[in-house]
Order: sequence, then C-alpha cells, then structure tokens
Amino acid sequence: MDNALLDARLTRRGFLRAGALVVGYATLGGVPHAIGTAEAAGSSALVNAWVRIGSDNSVAVLIGSAEMGQGVCTSLAQIVADELQADWTRVTFEFAPAAPAYANFVTHAQLTGGSMSVRGYYAGLRVAGAAAREMLKSAAALAWGVPASACTATNGTVTAIVGGVTKSMTYGALAPAAATLPVPASPPLTPDSALRFIGHSLPRLDLAAKTTGAAVFGIDVRVPGMAYAAIKHCPQLGGTLAVLPKKPSGATAIVGLDNAVAVVVEDTTWHAIQLARNLKPTWTIPSSVADLTTATIMTEAKSLMASATPAIAESVGNPAAAIAAAKLQLDATYDVPYLAHATLEPLNCTASVTRTSCEIWAPTQAAGIVAQTAATLTGLPLSAITVHTTFLGGGLGRKFEQDFIAQAIRVSQALMRPVKLTWSREEDFGNDQYRPMALARVQAGLDATGAVVGWRNRIVSPSILFQRGWVGPNDVDSQAVDGAIDLPYGFATRAVEYVRHTAEIPVGFWRSVGFSINTFVVESAIDELATLAGIDPLAFRQRLLANDARSLGVLNAAAALGGWNTPVPKGHARGIAFCEGFGSTVAQVIEIAGKAGSISVVRVSCAIDCGTVINPDTVAAQMEGGIVQGLGAALWGKMTFTNGVASPRNFNGYAMVRMRNMPQVAVTVLASGGFVGGVGEPGVPPVAPALANAYARLTGIRLRSLPMFTAPRSGD
Amino acid sequence: MITLNVNGTNYQVNAGSDMPLLWVIRDILGLTGTKYGCGIEQCGACTVLVDGHPQKSCDMDATEAVGRKITTIEGLSATGTHPVQLAWIANQVPQCGYCQSGMILCVAAALARNPKAKATDITGELENICACGTYQRIRNAVKSITG
Ligand code: FES
Ligand code: FES
Repeated sequence: MDNALLDARLTRRGFLRAGALVVGYATLGGVPHAIGTAEAAGSSALVNAWVRIGSDNSVAVLIGSAEMGQGVCTSLAQIVADELQADWTRVTFEFAPAAPAYANFVTHAQLTGGSMSVRGYYAGLRVAGAAAREMLKSAAALAWGVPASACTATNGTVTAIVGGVTKSMTYGALAPAAATLPVPASPPLTPDSALRFIGHSLPRLDLAAKTTGAAVFGIDVRVPGMAYAAIKHCPQLGGTLAVLPKKPSGATAIVGLDNAVAVVVEDTTWHAIQLARNLKPTWTIPSSVADLTTATIMTEAKSLMASATPAIAESVGNPAAAIAAAKLQLDATYDVPYLAHATLEPLNCTASVTRTSCEIWAPTQAAGIVAQTAATLTGLPLSAITVHTTFLGGGLGRKFEQDFIAQAIRVSQALMRPVKLTWSREEDFGNDQYRPMALARVQAGLDATGAVVGWRNRIVSPSILFQRGWVGPNDVDSQAVDGAIDLPYGFATRAVEYVRHTAEIPVGFWRSVGFSINTFVVESAIDELATLAGIDPLAFRQRLLANDARSLGVLNAAAALGGWNTPVPKGHARGIAFCEGFGSTVAQVIEIAGKAGSISVVRVSCAIDCGTVINPDTVAAQMEGGIVQGLGAALWGKMTFTNGVASPRNFNGYAMVRMRNMPQVAVTVLASGGFVGGVGEPGVPPVAPALANAYARLTGIRLRSLPMFTAPRSGD
Repeated sequence: MITLNVNGTNYQVNAGSDMPLLWVIRDILGLTGTKYGCGIEQCGACTVLVDGHPQKSCDMDATEAVGRKITTIEGLSATGTHPVQLAWIANQVPQCGYCQSGMILCVAAALARNPKAKATDITGELENICACGTYQRIRNAVKSITG
C-alpha cells in the first residue's frame, strides 16, 4: 500500500483531496505558526488568519467550525471570498487548527453548536475577507508606485492604470508581499448590492471528496506507527473499573480508564474490537445503579411534578388565577424519552503524545476544548498541542463531548505512540450522553373569544448543565427550558417552571437541545387549545401571532406550501407546528395517511426565515435533514435503561428513517434580511408536534407521549 | 495469506480467517472510503461491490471474497466522474457524507444490472441509513439519471 499517499492526506490542506500538493502558500496576516504573536497584537491582527492564497492563485479559506454535514465549509468560504473579490472557481477550504484566532466571534469559543456558525462568523469573516482584499491592493500599489485607491480588485486580480497603461497582477503573485503588510482594522465592506456569492446556492466545496471516498473522517485517520485501540465501558452507567483484566493474547497493551478498558493492537480496529468485546473486567457498581431504570425515572419524575419546588424560568402575572377563571381549561401532561445521538460515524479519536508534544486528529465539534483537554491530561502547554479537525460523520451534539478524546489521549500517553481509538457501535449507543427525558404539564385557560388568558408549563427533566457543574442544583437549566420560554405567543399571564430530575444517566446536547422537547409540548398544547376553542389550528396561531409579522410570514408560507386550506385527501390529515429558535423562525405542515397505529408520512412542507441567507440550498438541506431527524425521533426514538444498562445497542433496535419512510419534503427559505439566523437545529423541533397534531386530526387520538410508535425491529 | 482483487489490483493480505472484508479494506489496504457504521448489516455504510453486486462488507469474511472482483468507492471511477457521482454532485446530495460511498455503490450497481431501471425500482431497494437525511436528494439524483 502506498503509505505516502495516505499520509499526504493528513496534511491540513490534504483533508480536502487525497495527495493534494501544498505549494508556495503565503499566509496573509500570519497563521498558524504566528498565532502567538497575532494574539498579543490584539483582535485586528487576527482577521487574516482566514485567508491563504497560493502561488497558483488558489484561495483557501480557513474554517473555524466543524463540518458535520451542514455545509459550513462552503457557506463560511462564500462570506470571505465575496469580500475578497476572489475567483470562486479557485476557492477551497481548510479546517483551521485549534487556536484562539479561530474562535467564533460571538461565542468566543472554537466549538460548533447552537446553530452558531454563520451567525457567529458572518460579520467577522466579511471584515476578514475585506481586509485581505485591501492588503492585496496595497501590495499592488506598492509594486506599481500608485496609491491603493487607484487599484481595483476583481475576481482574483488587482488592476490599475499606471502611466496610461493598464497593469494587473493576480492574487497569487501579490500574496507574499501582501502578507507582510499591516492588517487594516476597518476595511470598507462591499455594498450588499455588489455581493456576488452571499445569498447564492453555490455548489458545496466538499462534495467531490464526499463522492469519491477521499474525504477523511476521524475514523479514517492513519498516521505512521499508529496502533489501533477499541474500548469496553462498564456495561452499567456509573460503574467503574475495579480490576484491570490480563492483557489478552494478541494485544499490544491494555489500558484501564476509570469506567472503561482500552485494548490496543497492531493490526486492525476489528481485532481490537473483538478483543475488547471479550474482555471480562471486574467493575465496581454503585448501589444507586438500580435508580437508573426507565420506569423508576418516570415514577420519580411524576413525584417531582406533583410535589417539588420548581425554579422559575418565566413569570408574568397570575396565570393560576386566570386559568381558574377561564371559560375553557386545558390540563395536559406530556413526556419524551431519552434519545441517542447515533451519528453514523461512531466516536473515535487519534492521538499522538510524546514527552514534548501532543497531536490530535478528531471528528470534534469543539477543537478549542480538545486542546484544553490535551493540555490538562498531558501537562503540556497549549503551544505544544496541535488539533486537526477532520470531517465529521455527523455530530448532532455528541462530538462536542470530550470523553472519547480524553480516552485516546490517555491511551497514547500510556504507550507513548500514536493510537487511533474507535468505539464500536454498541459502545456508542451504550455510552452516549443522551438527550434527556422530560415530563411536562401544561395548564392553560381560554376566554370566550378563544384567547389564551393563562399559561403554565412545569418541566421536569435532568439538567445537562448541572451534570457538568455549570449551574447550581436549584438553578433553571437554560437548555432545559429553551423553546418553553420567551415564546412569540406572548400569553397575557404565564409561568414556566423547571424541576431538575436527579437521575444520573449522562445527558448532553442533542440537535436543538431543549427545543426538541419543549416545542413538542408547547405546539401540541397549542393545538389542543385550538381544538378546545373550536378554531382551526392555523387560524388559532395566526391570532396569537397577529402582531408578529415575521412569525406570521413563516406560518403562512408553510401553510401555503402544505396546502393547508385545500381539501385533505380521504384517509389523510395535516398538522401544523411552529418554532422560533436559534435566531430563526420555522413552521411546518405535515400530511400523514393511514389509520390509528399505522401511518405513513406523506409530505412535510417547511418554511424558514433565517434573515440573511448565505447559501439557500444548504439551508434547505438542513431543513430536510432536520425533518428526517425529527421524524425518526418522534416516530420511534427511545433509549431505555435497566439498572444502568442502556438499550438498544445497535441500529437493529433503534429504528432510523430510511428511504421507504421518506416523505416528500418541500422547503421555502424566506430571506427577510437583516439578522442572521441559525439553520442547523431549528428544522428539528416542529416535526414531532406537527406529526402528533396531524395524528390527532386523523384518528381523534392525542398522543402526548413520545415516541408515537414502537420501533419496527429489523432482523439482525 | 489470501489474494484479494480490489479495484482491479491483486493484494496479498494476511487476514485472520474470520476477519470481515470491511476491515481488510479499511485497515490493511487503507481504502478508507468504505465505512464502518454498525458491523451488523444494518446501515450499509460498508457497502462494496462483489462481482458487481452490492455487499455489506462488515458481514462477509475476507476469505469468501477470494477470487471475486471487489470494487470500493475509490475504484468506481478513476476520476470521480461516474454518472452516479456526477448526479450526486449535481443534486448536492451529501451532507456529512459518511453514508454516501454505500449509497452511490448501491445505485451504481442497480444501474449496471439494469440500465433501464426505473428510479422507484432503484430507490425502492435502497435500505441504507443516512442519518443526515439526504434521502430526498438521493431520489432526485437517481431520477436525474433514469429520466
Ligand atoms: S457497517 Fe456494515 S452494514 Fe453497517
Ligand atoms: S450524508 Fe451523513 S449519514 Fe448520509
């Protein structure tokens, strides 16, 4: 095998194309080796960390976010390239190393989540692109002895009329000189009317690699001298390793890791997985493990719902009194289960620790935190740590976590050689940081006109933030109430309360986080109120949003797309739901067909207003993907626990939407301009309630508990 | 030692008798376009072509592949311009891309078997998981080929 070819892919640029040749790159503003000085010089010096121009006139835009399918390596490149006046046919991208320079401008962290990539990088990357353009113009001006104002930058070339003669130089020729010039702090931005790339569905830059097998995901990383490791966790969550078993024959090493054992071999991941699977370590199981049982957790949730003192997330007026005095009342309790992330690429990480350095290749959503994890574990300074972010075979929030990263670092540290650690699918399902379960009770009252006079929503759910020590035991977990507070409906009186469930199943961020729970509750309850009032669910929402033009626009666009006011075919029904979150507004109409207990999803019509749109087609793709994820979760998604043992452990027990389940999806992207909204997550939340609302109309049965159906089990 | 013919090249490999073809391809031959997703024939990320037929390589012993022609995504086209690959790009199918080697090979095999196949025949047989939910674009891409 040609190892040179494989290894060439591990250069940063090489992630894009196997065997890509790195030639004559000049870096504007000095990255990545000069990051230390750039930091000291302040933020203005950092901007040109984003543009790398080759002597071949190629323009690589450095991408600070992780590419996990959402298309950021294209949309972020579009932003920079537009201001840069680049020739789009020469634009490529590189994943940025972990460094403060690449932190999201809004979150100030180099992590990808919260649908923050375009939202956080947009304004700063426009400045970065413009600054680079001005530096190229200045370099040309110096070469020709004219003022920079006499130079024009267009499509990868700077031109000027010098002594009556038109002179021109390409960006590639100018880049080395430009890189030595000071970075302008506030370069002029291109007027919106002159933008050429922003707002256009340019083809994604990563698809040649993703149709030929050339894209390097974390699991594909190969470095010279690398060993292969697999992991076996304590099958019961909360258990720890008591006795490290003997090294199995054929293994290079066995490494104990708190709640797991890693087996290291020389030849293949498969070999390591086989040996890990057959290990029989002795575990210490805490007595509290019996509490980690689904039925026990639900019983406890009900008791907390009835008697716990809640934390107040939102409070306006006296909803209890208003509801008591209301003409019609709703009192409905909803519940949702734990969910697995089930990214198609299982967790993995490659680490190479030496006495003086630590290099990591990982499919991570949090390169910045990975560097810190490595520094903590190795005791090395951040300057000795290099993080290479690979393509991610799905992230969904799971690849933000550090557990799999820390394991790889520790195994490499134990062996002092490069190690790729891969979790089997069974370990991945069994040791997730799950989307939390929740129990929520909505009480609401309607007056004679059908207006909502009072709204109470009490949510009982484990706290992602408390489990990490980020909030106190009695605090509101902001993630747990996202989608339940600050609703655009603006009910006259309202109280949203949060009770932390103490169950110790590890919980984490799952695409759209709290919205994946609360939008189901809120939008189901709104539909129930509409039914109670005898008002059409769309009209009911239109009344609530009468003074909110943007929300109304989205709602009406989805309704039009879904044919809300057209006759419903026999045996079909439609449901609608709405969500405002991540800076965007999304509404969906879902049409289903069938009968109680057996439905098919026919059509999902989705409208999103995300304000300023960079690439409409990738926005549509995110809606399509969010809808599929939402459907799988609403129809079948569920993890259960028995004495801390998670089930299921593979896709034969965890039904995913497949081609045969796929509805027609139509997406309208409304671009109302101005603000920049997120798109990775808000496609998910409306799916479950729109589906449940359709089901209620089809069958008369209101499903308040997810998943709606028992997962079909596919043959093993 | 067994000899495997992968993408037209014969490789002598030292694989244990029960090692699945998937891991020989990925870890011994270093052809990482073929993916591991489940290991139990559920997801199709590991699909390769064996004598032209889609085969989940996680569930086939490498020894069974001796004497047969194995095609991985890397071998579908030297230039990445197989009609299915082009249709995938034209329709902007992949998101994360992890499932797409398997998807592309399944569709390419169906078209090779029956160039007149209808789009619904091809997608009707497609069982692979795409966690990113690119199914609609796959459908459109297949339609763009079959007409
Ligand atoms: S890895 Fe073979 S079918 Fe999933
Ligand atoms: S594109 Fe991500 S799993 Fe299919």
